[in-house]
Amino acid sequence: MLVQLNNIFKWVQSGGQRIFLLKDINLEVEEGEFISIMGPSGSGKSTLLNVIGMLDAFDEGEYNFLDESVHSLKEKDRSRLYKQYIGFVFQSYHLLDDLTVQENLEMPLLYKKMKSPERKAKVADILDRFNIVAKKDLFPAQLSGGQQQLVGVARALIANPKLILADEPTGNLNSTQSKEIMELFKQLNQEGVTIVQVTHSETNAAYGSRTINLLDGRRII
Amino acid sequence: MFKNHLKIAWRSLKKQPFFTFLNTFGLAIGIAGGLLISLYIYDELSYDRMFADADRIHRIHADIKFGGEDRKFAVTPAPMAEVAQNDFSEVELAMRFRTQGSLLLRKADTEANIKELQTTFVDSTFFKMFGLDLLAGDIKTALKSPNTLILTKSAAEKHFSINDAVGQTLILDNDDSYSVTGVIDDFPQNSFLRDHTVFMAMSGYEDSRIVNWGSNNYQTYIKLIPSANVEDIQEPLRDFLGRYVIPGVQQFMPGFTEEQFKAAGNHLIYSTMPLTDIHLRSDRVAEISRNNKLQSIYILSFIAIFLLVLACVNFMNLSTAHSLKRAKEVGIRKTLGSNRGELIRQFLIESGLVSMASLVLAVILAVILLPMFNDLADKNISMPYTNPFFWLILLASGVVLGLFSGGYPAFFMSKFIPVKVLKGTSSNSLGGGKVRNALVIFQFAISVFLIIGTLVVYQQLDYIQNKDLGFSKDQVLIVNDAFSLDNNANSFKEEVKKLSYVKNATLSSFFPTPSSRSDSTFAPEEGLTDQENALSMQRWGVDFDYVSTMDFEIIAGRDFNRDFKNDSTNIIVNESAVSVIGVSPEEAIGMRYTPDFGEDNPEFFTIIGVVKDFHFSPFRAEIESLSLHLSDRAYALAIKLESGNFSNAIAGIEGIWNQIAPGQPFDYYFMEDRFNDTYQSEQRLGRIFFIFTALSILIACLGLFGLAAFNAEKRTKEIGIRKVLGASVSQISYRLSMDFLKLVGVAILISLPLGWFAMNKWLEDFSYRIEIGVWVFAVAALLAIAISIITVSYQSIKAAIVNPIKSLRTE
Repeated sequence: MLVQLNNIFKWVQSGGQRIFLLKDINLEVEEGEFISIMGPSGSGKSTLLNVIGMLDAFDEGEYNFLDESVHSLKEKDRSRLYKQYIGFVFQSYHLLDDLTVQENLEMPLLYKKMKSPERKAKVADILDRFNIVAKKDLFPAQLSGGQQQLVGVARALIANPKLILADEPTGNLNSTQSKEIMELFKQLNQEGVTIVQVTHSETNAAYGSRTINLLDGRRII
Repeated sequence: MFKNHLKIAWRSLKKQPFFTFLNTFGLAIGIAGGLLISLYIYDELSYDRMFADADRIHRIHADIKFGGEDRKFAVTPAPMAEVAQNDFSEVELAMRFRTQGSLLLRKADTEANIKELQTTFVDSTFFKMFGLDLLAGDIKTALKSPNTLILTKSAAEKHFSINDAVGQTLILDNDDSYSVTGVIDDFPQNSFLRDHTVFMAMSGYEDSRIVNWGSNNYQTYIKLIPSANVEDIQEPLRDFLGRYVIPGVQQFMPGFTEEQFKAAGNHLIYSTMPLTDIHLRSDRVAEISRNNKLQSIYILSFIAIFLLVLACVNFMNLSTAHSLKRAKEVGIRKTLGSNRGELIRQFLIESGLVSMASLVLAVILAVILLPMFNDLADKNISMPYTNPFFWLILLASGVVLGLFSGGYPAFFMSKFIPVKVLKGTSSNSLGGGKVRNALVIFQFAISVFLIIGTLVVYQQLDYIQNKDLGFSKDQVLIVNDAFSLDNNANSFKEEVKKLSYVKNATLSSFFPTPSSRSDSTFAPEEGLTDQENALSMQRWGVDFDYVSTMDFEIIAGRDFNRDFKNDSTNIIVNESAVSVIGVSPEEAIGMRYTPDFGEDNPEFFTIIGVVKDFHFSPFRAEIESLSLHLSDRAYALAIKLESGNFSNAIAGIEGIWNQIAPGQPFDYYFMEDRFNDTYQSEQRLGRIFFIFTALSILIACLGLFGLAAFNAEKRTKEIGIRKVLGASVSQISYRLSMDFLKLVGVAILISLPLGWFAMNKWLEDFSYRIEIGVWVFAVAALLAIAISIITVSYQSIKAAIVNPIKSLRTE
């Protein structure tokens, strides 16, 4: 079991009232799954994804990641955990504007304190695998949206995570680019990477092996 | 990782050239200012420390209250040195200076004189006291016999080469022959002997061997043995009054007792001061060289710290304001696995880069500005390029400044929570606004404070320069060395008076400039031996034309007059003297006083006139009692000129001089210049205040400008919405500007009372001073407001005229 959420609650206090962002969420993710989270705006999709990614805290419930109980870990250990096992893909790519494609890809490895030769090899590898060797010295602003997201996915993948969390990865892309990215995800999943994506689109959701539906912070399916 | 940090830091700085420039330039100005002031302070603190055993050398002082005057002297009686050496086992060595002012020197068998401005008699222990070596001559015999002297290198080279200086004969003031027994190196600029060039053997100075405790003319230095504590001799020094001074006076005033002396409220206290303290802590009568005030060092230190803090504050403000742009980066980095420490390190490297760049720029600025600064501060400071400590300290301060100014922004930015910043939550929630506001208030409070300081200093200077002095200092030319004309001095004066552009002329050694002094104690005819009636007065020898040339106002009695035969036994006193006596000016006429009340047949002088008080010592001091006597001995000729072409007049007078005294140097100055010299330290303070006020305002403006730009950017969306809803450009720019003006307003409220308090403290030093007017505060406040409006409005207007379609377009 990769991810196990038991009775997760998350709320904010507003005017003396609790507004629930997540309400009694139970979810299990096995290794190798490709899960799509769907639901209308404000239903808590992104919040759930952030909780899984350990970027956001929750108020009640248990979260086990690879048999470690995230809810009882210290900040430092939590950061070690997600650094090692999780890669993020964002709707607006979130590449560092000041760095070239190559340097952006290198960043997670730097934070893992990987030695230079190994780093270089990995970057070369992934550039090759994603077919973007020619783009390695360009800055994000010089790429199209689809290409930027390609780099975003490559960056998420470079440290060999067990889990990729994608928050509307195609939200800013046109349909052709969308299709390419989703095909890429499908291929990665077949290679064994576990993926959880948030999406609005039924088409994209269909790439996944199962779909979870949220409404007002509750899981309805 | 470090390389990566460096690379990113460099790129992000390069991407924001304007911001980087503001940051670097602001910091560089601060460091350059701080650097220059530090060099100045370092130089001031280094005074007299170059002498071997400087920490064991002390000067003996006298605080004397007697005859209606309360004064602190840097000089003591002639026997003090010998007595101190004999009485105290702590004293290893004692020596005296008896300064002589300027002297004319010529080589025997030549005609042309060369003037040396600062000369002095010294005891032969001079070398041992200050650890001096001779460049030429024998240290065992130099300065031992009468009529010998030693010269500094530069003084000796005016007459002969150093190697054959020893054994030569010099004629001093066309009169006495002295043989040169040694040459010493020139004294460094930061020593109290910097201007002294000629040192004559004390053994040839008769007065130095007379045991006279009544007159103070000798600068007395003692060197303690290494184990001694200077505090141990203070108490015994106080006892000198009863032990030596009173018995000395009793020789000619038998009824004089210590009890009587003290009961009359008088005192005489001998004490010591370390040699190395004198330059900054001593402001006494008859200092051997011009000292500085510790107060001005404090003021400058404050200014230096202010400047640096201002620059750092700027840096913090701009960086945190700017952090908005970096928020996304922080978020991404955190999701990619960076921890806080890593981010802090990265931002510190960035601020470190900026501070190093500023450091380089600051050194360049300082090198460029140093000559101007030297001019301003009247110094001769050079950059200590070869001193490794200088570079080490510079580098260390660069690092400290980088950490100090970069620390808060790094701490602040690394705190961003990725979920929030990546979602693009409203920038207001990023915080730091309150701290920024506080920092802006702080900057402007300092600026307003400095503006107030500048205004008050200049106002006081203006007051001094335009105050009624009681005499006319303008258009008075003083020709020195009239004594070298011997008996021709009078004919020189008469010839000069014939010139059409000369109104009047007078021969005297004393002029209303601070260097003129001749202290005497007088006693009245009635109650001669009653010391309560003693009157301490300046005794100035003048001629018949003195009062009219100086434009003194006679308020009672009459001026000296050639038609009165016995005017040589008459005196004119000033108002202060009359008020010490305790009578009205009219009543004072006819009173008789004598300066030699101890002698058998004292010579009495009758008061025939009273002049209105005039300022002859600096405004810091009260006007002292003074008497004018007729005298033939005169050092200089004061010439009152018609207004007009002075260079013409000077040329004419020099022509007459050269006819009467060929070969003698023609040396002159304008009284007004000498007068202004007295306020040099105030004027210097005024200029320094002005410059550094300007700098601090510049730095504050740089910061405000950057903040305004940031603020406008942050509120782009708000401005867009307001415009769509119908707000006009002026309404919006008013709104944006007001944000900052409120802060400036608070700053003004804080600094006004501080400025009032501090400047009143400064003015306390002056006996004659201005009152700080309300207008000073009004001007300072308005100036600050005007400057900030100008700074902010550019950005505000720029933001306000942007088309809302642009600002409201979502990503």
